[in-house]
Amino acid sequence: MRKFIAIVLSKLIHFILRLFNRGATSFPGLVALKIDKNILKKISKNTKTIIVTGTNGKTTSCRMISEILKENNVSFFENKSGANLKNGIVTEYVLNSTVFGKNKYEYALIECDEAAFKTVSTLVDPKYILVTNVFRDQLDRYGEISNILENIKIGILNSKNAIVCLNADDSITSSLKDEIDNKVFFYGINVPIYKNRVNEASDALYCIRCKHPYKYKYITYGHLGDYYCDNCGYHRITPNISVERLISSDADSSNVEIKYNDELYEVNINLPGGYNIYNALGSLAVSKVINLDINKSIIALSKFESGFGRMEKFVLDGVNVRMILIKNPAGCNQVLNFLSNLEEDSNFVILLNDKYADGTDISWIWDVDFEVLNSINSKIKNIYVSGIRKDDMALRLKYAGFNNIKVIESYEELIRESIKDKLDVYIMPTYTSMMDLRSIISKKYGYKDFWE
Amino acid sequence: MDYSLKICHIYPDVLNLYGDTGNILALQYRLKQRGISVSVDKLMVNDKLENTDYDIYFIGGGQDFEQDVLLKDASVNKSSAIKDAIESNKVFLAICGGYQVLGKYYKTWDNKRMDFIGALDVYTIGNKDRMIGNFMYELIDHPGNRIVGFENHSGKTYLGDSVKPLGKIIYGKGNNGEDGYEGARYKNVFATYSHGPLLPKNPYFCDLLLETALKNKYGLEFKLSELDDTFENRAHQYIESRLSK
Repeated sequence: MRKFIAIVLSKLIHFILRLFNRGATSFPGLVALKIDKNILKKISKNTKTIIVTGTNGKTTSCRMISEILKENNVSFFENKSGANLKNGIVTEYVLNSTVFGKNKYEYALIECDEAAFKTVSTLVDPKYILVTNVFRDQLDRYGEISNILENIKIGILNSKNAIVCLNADDSITSSLKDEIDNKVFFYGINVPIYKNRVNEASDALYCIRCKHPYKYKYITYGHLGDYYCDNCGYHRITPNISVERLISSDADSSNVEIKYNDELYEVNINLPGGYNIYNALGSLAVSKVINLDINKSIIALSKFESGFGRMEKFVLDGVNVRMILIKNPAGCNQVLNFLSNLEEDSNFVILLNDKYADGTDISWIWDVDFEVLNSINSKIKNIYVSGIRKDDMALRLKYAGFNNIKVIESYEELIRESIKDKLDVYIMPTYTSMMDLRSIISKKYGYKDFWE
Repeated sequence: MDYSLKICHIYPDVLNLYGDTGNILALQYRLKQRGISVSVDKLMVNDKLENTDYDIYFIGGGQDFEQDVLLKDASVNKSSAIKDAIESNKVFLAICGGYQVLGKYYKTWDNKRMDFIGALDVYTIGNKDRMIGNFMYELIDHPGNRIVGFENHSGKTYLGDSVKPLGKIIYGKGNNGEDGYEGARYKNVFATYSHGPLLPKNPYFCDLLLETALKNKYGLEFKLSELDDTFENRAHQYIESRLSK
């Protein structure tokens, strides 16, 4: 009875909030939990849950898996709008079950924040878990990088029935293999992928087992690569599915050669950047542990369109505007790596907020190598800066050597100014400023808002 | 006369977690703008610190995981040189983990004790709760001048008799959340929990460090020329007004 009331009320609230055009992602779930604290346990029982967690790449990986599931005609639901904390996840399960609590779909594809994973894993019994990577991120929430890993480990230990897909190139998350009893499936890149790399601090200089310095046969980016410790022997495990060759890459996509079960496949990934090669590999790993057809999955990756804020493209008054979410040094450095290879003149926009979901400590922007953009200085007409912490962002850019910084408070004015030269625009917002900006873009230019 | 300063960045490999490298950028930038040349040496794990002619030493914050690697290396390669440099009045800027590690020891909340470098008469007790957030303090030796930054630590630091606090807390927790003080001053050591990073949006304080180092080296009272600190002051003012509400 509780369950019934919780579901009905929460569906009603969601419906009403949508009538008033509000996002309504967390509140319905909050209400359901208040009425029946076991609601998630009850309604997740008859569906197979896939959890995607880790620092960078969760949303894009989920969207890739989503495309793969569709191409393979699998019935599933997903927490579309990136609401990856507990209340948002509960909302999504409620909306996708009948009023009697029976889930309508065979699979649940759930993007889950690393800290929330600890709790959600006790309520959902995941069948498949994809861990993308661990990088320094939101240290105001986690305190230390090792706490992020600990949260993921606890989540996996709570998920005794899950097959876990791990990034073989990440010495931090790969170490989970020896701490868990679950079946593990590794994915990784068997070759270096960048000719030039940004200067960035490594989040894993010392062996997680014995604290001697790691050596590498090659690094792909950050601390990812073919690592080994010549003191205790801890080393990269050969992945079950791997990239053998980078065939070509440009501003819109990458072509790679993938190996699985001794067969080679050419794969076109419809998003640029090395980090998206990892996202694609992780998604294929999931498709293999679910036993889907690899050829259909590969087709899905070539058709794939980015999620909101992840290299999402808008055309505003005839101007190409691309939005790329930034959240932490590793992710932001990868975006800058990509941008520093641009050929055309453009305008850049950076929005920095410091609300809870953005990370309240903005000092991470000083661990980002904005200086790398100096190599295309002549191609950047203006850098516009906005958001709650715009003054800190402007100061960082001043230090990076830019003298064409324009600080604008109003988002409407920001959009108008950035498109007036008719050059391509690249917008780098943090999470909450992206949500606000997208709302304005959809109201003024008729694009779908994030929950649509 | 051509002036120059040499900076020693200690443990840029393991103590680099919270954007504290921005402090090195600030020191370099503000010197170059005044036509003073500057060089930065990085002293990592396994590098032996020789006190040739460094004028400013910087040591940043990090996480606990690498701490024993650091302590092992410090006792062999760094500790005595650090103590000598501090006693000979060299300018030292130490942030968070760097601040703690210059102290005598760290005791975890379950009473395990770890001996630290012992260059500064302070000790730290580990705590279950973290002290996290934007904070603000007034410089005790320069009243009317405020520091804005971000603290993120679980350790509570207590000062011994030979060490004074750096600032009086206006907003936030500071050293231990109990006595209303933040940071430490001893000879020319300036130690604080402030990330932010500290120097970019506290230009007055940055110039204070630079003038102290220049005076030490050249024996003259230095008053550095004014710079266009519009961006710096706006970023500083924003936090001041947010925390003053």
